[in-house]
Amino acid sequence: MDSMDSSVASPDLGLELGFPFWVASRRRFKPDDPFFASGNLERELLAKHVALDLTEDERFQLQRMEIADANLFCPIAGCGARLEYLEEFEDHYNTRHMASCSVCFRVYPTSRLLSIHISEVHDSFFQAKVARGFPMYECLVEGCGAKLKSYKSRQRHLIDKHRFPSNFEFYKKAHPSKHQRQKLQRKAYKGGDAKDQESFMDLDAKKESKQTRPKHYRPKQEVKSGTERESEMEVETKLHHPQTTETKVVTNSEAKNEKAKAETEMEVEERIEDIVSGISKLSTVDASSPSSVSFGHRHSRGFAFVPRSVRNQNQISKREQTRKP
Amino acid sequence: MASEDTAPSHSHHRDSIKSSVGNTAANRRRQQAISIGKERREALIRAKRLCRDSIFDDGDNEKGLDEGEMVIDEEQSVLNARTAQTVQELKSSLSYQGKDATQKTIEALCALRKLLSKSEVPPIEAAIQGGAVPLLVQCLSFGSADEQLLEAAWCVTNIAAGGPEETKSLLSALPLLIAHLGERSSGHVAEQCAWALGNVSGEDMELRSILFAQGALLPLTRLMLSNRESTARTAAWALSNLIKGPDPKAANELIRIEAITDTIVKHLKTADEELVTEVAWVVVYLSALSDKAISILVRSDVVPVLVNRLVGSESLQLLIPVLRSLGNLVAADAYITHSVLIVGNDITDQVLYGLIKCLKSEHRVLKKEALWVLSNIAAGTLEHKTLIFSSEAVPLLIDLLSAAPFEIRKEAAYTLGNICVGPTKGSDNKSDIIVTHLVPLVKGGCLPGFVNLVRSADLESARVGLIFLELVMRGYPNGEGPKLVEMEDGIDAMERFQFHENQEMRNVANALVDKYFGADYGV
Repeated sequence: MDSMDSSVASPDLGLELGFPFWVASRRRFKPDDPFFASGNLERELLAKHVALDLTEDERFQLQRMEIADANLFCPIAGCGARLEYLEEFEDHYNTRHMASCSVCFRVYPTSRLLSIHISEVHDSFFQAKVARGFPMYECLVEGCGAKLKSYKSRQRHLIDKHRFPSNFEFYKKAHPSKHQRQKLQRKAYKGGDAKDQESFMDLDAKKESKQTRPKHYRPKQEVKSGTERESEMEVETKLHHPQTTETKVVTNSEAKNEKAKAETEMEVEERIEDIVSGISKLSTVDASSPSSVSFGHRHSRGFAFVPRSVRNQNQISKREQTRKP
Repeated sequence: MASEDTAPSHSHHRDSIKSSVGNTAANRRRQQAISIGKERREALIRAKRLCRDSIFDDGDNEKGLDEGEMVIDEEQSVLNARTAQTVQELKSSLSYQGKDATQKTIEALCALRKLLSKSEVPPIEAAIQGGAVPLLVQCLSFGSADEQLLEAAWCVTNIAAGGPEETKSLLSALPLLIAHLGERSSGHVAEQCAWALGNVSGEDMELRSILFAQGALLPLTRLMLSNRESTARTAAWALSNLIKGPDPKAANELIRIEAITDTIVKHLKTADEELVTEVAWVVVYLSALSDKAISILVRSDVVPVLVNRLVGSESLQLLIPVLRSLGNLVAADAYITHSVLIVGNDITDQVLYGLIKCLKSEHRVLKKEALWVLSNIAAGTLEHKTLIFSSEAVPLLIDLLSAAPFEIRKEAAYTLGNICVGPTKGSDNKSDIIVTHLVPLVKGGCLPGFVNLVRSADLESARVGLIFLELVMRGYPNGEGPKLVEMEDGIDAMERFQFHENQEMRNVANALVDKYFGADYGV
């Protein structure tokens, strides 16, 4: 006899943590399982010949009593808001869990996490204090109150004291936007037009002269060989910035807005923005400068690009942990 | 793009509760509907049936039945007072020693019975408090006149249609009721007692246990064989209440009764749809609770007959237990999919046809439970998956996945996923992905529905969504899976789980995002 569990069967080994791959198996329910509740209700109503007598409201209430009996709460950690019915969740999420950063557009599920993000990433004062040895990295769990001296030690604290999974990253490496990826794929199909890359780099060069930026910054599009990567890594150790990658959520509306704009225009804007937001992550002292440099298109961006150099840095630490088969 | 106010989480609570109320007037109406209708609602949901009309055929026996007097429309307090008084009259008639004693008793019983059957809300509480129960027990004693037994059993029937406390007050009457089910009793008396026992059984497991221990099962089963359709129907219904569990002992005992399967088959074939309905419910509980019953039923004629009914009937009342019986049998025993519903057999095509018919129906219950059955069939052999895949079920499935209420969407998701995953595992210990099914389904537009499930607040739905996305990203040819998922905002949906309170969800979502949308993605 098959178990009463859902068809998602016992954990399988594959992705490191016992991923529950789909297994096609039969699902069986006990007679008093909530699954059958609405059918049972229907039976009793029909037998009493009152099905037609019921007002719309009464029927609605009866169904709600049966279905929404299981107390439904918002599953986002720390929220616990009561949801009257499932369909309500989307609205609730959009109202309550989309605290977004006005600098880099990352979205967080609570205002507290957002403010932690802002301090840790966009506040030079924060970094200054860190540099002087103050414990500035707050524990993410509300009510804990612990403060740690580094991102890594805060990570350790979360894992040890609050049983977070070892792969949890508050600042995950960022993902390129949809538009960015589409652009890259087009480029790849074209066969890596050298001219395109060049013009991009020129743009970089122009921008470089305007802003204080490390000279070793390289555009993302370059296809790296092994050695190139290494040299970049060396370079990065010279760059003084926190080891951060960030969580990212693309807000749908913003991503869709992008499509409306002319492509070439977007490309230029994007590159400028890429650079600017890249700066915001690279330099700590100049965190204030990105916000003052505004090209007036931020609202259209759902996501901030992270230059490969920064991404690779975390790639190193990740690679140490996980090896691809 | 301003960040939210820094109010503490409890005000989020308040706000979310407040904001769920749109229109205050509608809300007030709703509140009223909730408070006023509570008792009525509970009465509707109970697995009890009030006996309002005589079990005699209409027009058979006019004596004492005023068809014109349909409803006693009196204020509750007046009704209660009348009830108390009637009980007193019954009491005095029982102690009366004279020649007309029986007649007086019957008259008093009749008056009480009318109060309990013709009022909108029967004054059950008043009757009990007035001391009716011991009197009724007395009226049920052996050797009493048939009419007395009938009226007394009718009163007990309706008292047993009340709430838990009220039903439990009838304990002393139970053995007598069971006794009067016997073959020596008048047919009407037996039927009325069966009805009363049906109501008592419908209360809870404790009472079902007591009745089972007192030996109610066998006589009720015998009554189900009655030639009188109303008796067979009532007995079947009472039986279904008696065996519904959750303790399986009654169900296990029932299947051991000789020729029970034949009786069930015979009744399932009759023209009387109400009888078929009640017997089908018996099968529902047999197939849900008793492994022995399942084993017997799947090898019997019950399955083909149920399939016929599924295909042929349009009655919701009948389809629900028929569908569920099949569902229970398919879910519990691989024998059905492997040996009965073999692809290529007529019966298999019939089942599919019947299930699709339910998918197209407007009734939520039929859609949901038919999907459940379909998903279990889709968990069978490769031939089953292909059969369903090539049928007209697929566009329906995708549509239901996208647009139906969530509980239906979840079932559609299971079905679609099971169609894409083979019964065998590869060398990597993961189930084989049936690419020839997966690709057309994705092209047919099933991805948005799955991504939507991932966003659900329901843990199981979100999980189903996530692991289907994994299938697509792993199994879609040419590595196009991740891109397809991304185009439906799948990444966004998955990343929502970084802050999900459930650790497994976080791990699963994170693992997927890491693996398929890592730094190499898009380059």
